[in-house]
Amino acid sequence: MATLDLKSIGKSFGDAQVLHDIELSINDKEFIVFVGPSGCGKSTLLRIIAGLEEATTGSLLIDGDDVSDAHPIDRGISMVFQSYALYPHLSVFENIAFPLRVAKLSKSVLEDKVQRAAEILQLTDKLNLKPGQLSGGQRQRVAIGRSIVREPKIFLFDEPLSNLDAALRGDMRVELSQLHRDLRATMIYVTHDQVEAMTMADRIVVLNQGRVEQFGTPMELYHHPATKFVAAFIGQPNMNFLPATVTDVGDAGLCVQVDAGPALVLPVESAGVSAGDRVEVGIRPEDITQGAGGLNINVSVVERLGGISITYGTTDGGTRLCAALGGTADIREDQKAELKLEPKDCHVFDSAGKVLRRRQAPVLVE
Amino acid sequence: MVHQQQVKPRRTAPLHLSQGVFASLLIAPAMIFIAVIVAWPLIETFRLSFTDARLGGETYVGLENYQDLADSRKFRQTISRTFYWMFLSVSLKLILGLIGATLLNAAVPGRGLFRVLIMPPWVIPIAIGMIGWLWLYNGAFGLLSGALQYIDVVDKSFEFLAYKRSAFYSAVVADVWVGTPMVSLFFLAAMQGVSRDLYEAAWVDGASRWYRFRRITIPQIMPVIVSMALLSAIWTFNSFEVIWILTEGGPRSASTTLIVDTYKTAIANFKFGEGAARAVIIVILLAIFSLIYLFFLNKVNKHYGVK
Repeated sequence: MATLDLKSIGKSFGDAQVLHDIELSINDKEFIVFVGPSGCGKSTLLRIIAGLEEATTGSLLIDGDDVSDAHPIDRGISMVFQSYALYPHLSVFENIAFPLRVAKLSKSVLEDKVQRAAEILQLTDKLNLKPGQLSGGQRQRVAIGRSIVREPKIFLFDEPLSNLDAALRGDMRVELSQLHRDLRATMIYVTHDQVEAMTMADRIVVLNQGRVEQFGTPMELYHHPATKFVAAFIGQPNMNFLPATVTDVGDAGLCVQVDAGPALVLPVESAGVSAGDRVEVGIRPEDITQGAGGLNINVSVVERLGGISITYGTTDGGTRLCAALGGTADIREDQKAELKLEPKDCHVFDSAGKVLRRRQAPVLVE
Repeated sequence: MVHQQQVKPRRTAPLHLSQGVFASLLIAPAMIFIAVIVAWPLIETFRLSFTDARLGGETYVGLENYQDLADSRKFRQTISRTFYWMFLSVSLKLILGLIGATLLNAAVPGRGLFRVLIMPPWVIPIAIGMIGWLWLYNGAFGLLSGALQYIDVVDKSFEFLAYKRSAFYSAVVADVWVGTPMVSLFFLAAMQGVSRDLYEAAWVDGASRWYRFRRITIPQIMPVIVSMALLSAIWTFNSFEVIWILTEGGPRSASTTLIVDTYKTAIANFKFGEGAARAVIIVILLAIFSLIYLFFLNKVNKHYGVK
């Protein structure tokens, strides 16, 4: 069992407040990803959970016990650092054994645990090597090995894959997900890469300027982003935002006139908006199709990836737009094209960037 | 008939030098410099050591100077005293240097100030520093003697440099005072090069301060410790000013090390030949140190994973 509760955690460095009133409740065995742009406070939040930084305000509860002032050992956490933080003068075996030596475990127990960790991470034949003799991926595994031998309640990962090349990152993502399933432990993972967040997380915490923008499952974040920030951050290529004016509020939804584009009736909860308000219509590139939809763009670049053609252009209203059209779409650079939006795929954000919740969205079968 | 001017390539006459000669020409200035400043004096010293050169002239005496040294009980004492001096002084410099660096590396307010404050012993001219120590060690007016009387350790004034044993150890203390700051600064620089992540990782794993020092700091700075041990050994072996200003090697040779002995023989007593033989022995001993150092550095670098 390892639940983690953050109660109004705040952190300031001098005058600079980097975390504001963070409230999170993390369940046992969950894989949680903190994601956000650099400087959003995600690493600081992780370091507070680790005990490497002290929160200025608020408290931290593990399994219901207040551990705000406890040592990392007493919190039952272990951490994998972005730099791996391997001891260059120690062999792989000694690196993995380090926490056990600190805990003064007997020789046989220690060897047993290190061997078991090495087997899980396929490092058995590397135990006598020094970290300097290993590849990036192997060093990463040693760092993970060092964190699992202690059998902590909560694993913390600080951007563990950011030093690896793209192919290896993909492999390690799968391995980490596998590890999470095998160890059945609570894991908290920090990254700035939304693909890592989407693929690995049970739930994602999107942080922006020291505040939680949204906390939910990857599919919730994708289909029901709470703010424009989350909508823009999650999904690749990024969501488009078209300025529009509300013309009417009816039972069927919100009637909007997209600037230099079509008039649409969007099925969203429209409480709080009235005719004449300015809003933004969010549409994901993959939800845009070619056809008579009243949205004309001047195509500037077409990236043909085979399966899809990522098309960049500008609307007549001057808004930049990206559409993921079919692989063989009849579209040319420096020509005009007409695009179509399905109302049910559209997200609407008010002038403050808050979403008007969609009534219809695909539901993932659990 | 139109005179056709022949077009000549306009460039300076080419030097028809082979690559080897050209390369030699390029390094010639450096070679000449080394030959004049290093090689010639070395060879001349070597030559002199086989003569009985004095102010009056010189004659070839073969190995006589070396034979005399080998037979001299006094010289053997000087050598063992030199090694004792070196061992004691270097050990103290390393230990105090390590402690100093650790304290200077600690996150305490005003550590920038402390880092500057340890510099003077090393920065001020040794002669000036030693005059300060002469006063400290002075029996009649010295601070140390006065302080010892005040706390009743001695009952009358104590002249530190007047007795064989106390003179030797007083010189060691002064030498350590001069040599420690630099050792400290090198250790400090090495400590600052150790990644913070290593300490944080160890701390998260529950390692105590001492454990982190022993298993991270020391191994990580070991190559620098080895380097400083050797460099410091050479400097201490050759440390001349400290001893000369404090005691001139006395009383009754109690603080005469090999370098002081060489100076006394060759310069003070004008026995250039005998002095040169001593100098050659110093060169041989230092060469051995250097070989040991290179051997160790290689091993240490391999062992501590410094690629």
